[in-house]
Amino acid sequence: MTRLIANAASALAPTTCDYTTGCITCGDVAIPLTILRLDDDRGLALCADDDGNSETVETDLVAPVAPGDRLLVHAGTAIARLTEEAPG
Amino acid sequence: MKYVDEFRDPALGEVLAGEILGLVEPGRHYKFMEVCGGHTHSIYKYGIDDLLPANVELVHGPGCPVCVIPMGRVDDGISLAHQPDVIFTCFGDMLRVPGSAGTLLDAKAEGADIRMVYSPLDALRIAKANPERPVIFFAIGFETTAPSTALTLKRAKAEGVANFFCMCNHVTIVPPLRALLDSPDLRLDGFIGPGHVSTVVGVRPFEFIPTEYGKPIAVAGFEPLDVLHAIHMILTQIKEGRCEVENQYARVVPYDGNPRALQVMSEVFELRPHFEWRGMGFISQSGLKLSEAYADMDAEIQYGVPGIRVADPKACQCGEVLKGVIKPWECKVFGSGCTPERPIGTCMVSSEGACAAYYNYGRFAREREVV
Repeated sequence: MTRLIANAASALAPTTCDYTTGCITCGDVAIPLTILRLDDDRGLALCADDDGNSETVETDLVAPVAPGDRLLVHAGTAIARLTEEAPG
Repeated sequence: MKYVDEFRDPALGEVLAGEILGLVEPGRHYKFMEVCGGHTHSIYKYGIDDLLPANVELVHGPGCPVCVIPMGRVDDGISLAHQPDVIFTCFGDMLRVPGSAGTLLDAKAEGADIRMVYSPLDALRIAKANPERPVIFFAIGFETTAPSTALTLKRAKAEGVANFFCMCNHVTIVPPLRALLDSPDLRLDGFIGPGHVSTVVGVRPFEFIPTEYGKPIAVAGFEPLDVLHAIHMILTQIKEGRCEVENQYARVVPYDGNPRALQVMSEVFELRPHFEWRGMGFISQSGLKLSEAYADMDAEIQYGVPGIRVADPKACQCGEVLKGVIKPWECKVFGSGCTPERPIGTCMVSSEGACAAYYNYGRFAREREVV
């Protein structure tokens, strides 16, 4: 079975930080995003969530990456790569 | 939603809750701490505590970075925001945290240019768009957020952005846990470990909890089934007489964390000798500051801050809530003097704070109980 990330904050648009629904940064929240395209020179990627909300993401911690990869993103930085296989 | 619904399946939740019921010994009381504010939020939002046997108690830990920030640091941030020409940037929840004479939101109303950002990268973008003005980023968060700040500072340096500065309030997770475990007034039977912090630091740093303190811990994800599964794992350990670190969130958390993130953090930050935590006092080596190589971007050095320690308001019992000694509703001002609209303590400010989470989700159930 595919085992990928699931997170309570996934329903939140990644560009909001609303105390009534939960602060993305303060709550140790990370959201799964998919890479749309890369800016290799600057180590950045344009990513989108399942609802099509997009944002620029720092990819240094999970490099190398490619369009289509799924990343776990916290505060604009990808902190883990989501794969079909469970890590560790 | 894809990859979310599987972890919110009510039928699976019922199965897990049934198994948990079979794991507890009648007559024994179990007290587990969820370290992370994100877990506190999930527990209240999904009513997880209602699924647990009455003798399994969840207490809330110090894992919300907003809740642990002392008033003196808020005052320092406000003083930086009032410096001439400064654009002060911070995450949303910080705006509402009370200092000794108001919040950052109050300072904004008084004319300070304070802007909410979602990421440090947003703050850097503001700095690049306003090269003639200093832009200060109020950095806050545990090891989940610290690499993001570190990478942004590295990027600013590499791109020669000279007007970008950082007031660093990043904290580390292990020292406060150790302080809690050393605290004589707290009896715990196990820990639900922080999921996304562990993505960075790994599971290894928590090995001291079973080896030195004899308490089981399960690092967990944030969906309702993740939290229930972690409680199941801890109870199974207790029943089988085991005591170890288990990784419930193995789909994301590698045992050794993210080595690149740890390397970047060690380049940009160094440990402060001690850092003040709200309600817990000064804890050794629990806070980060910018390393010497980044001193020119350190707002505290470049601008200076008052650095005055401010005692917590007397009525506020955030300290006891953060240590899990009392429940939010046992605080003298909970829901009366202190509400999310007009918070006295930090636990009521952030939605991940135990008091705000309880106020928003849990109090109605309790009111029914009391009636």
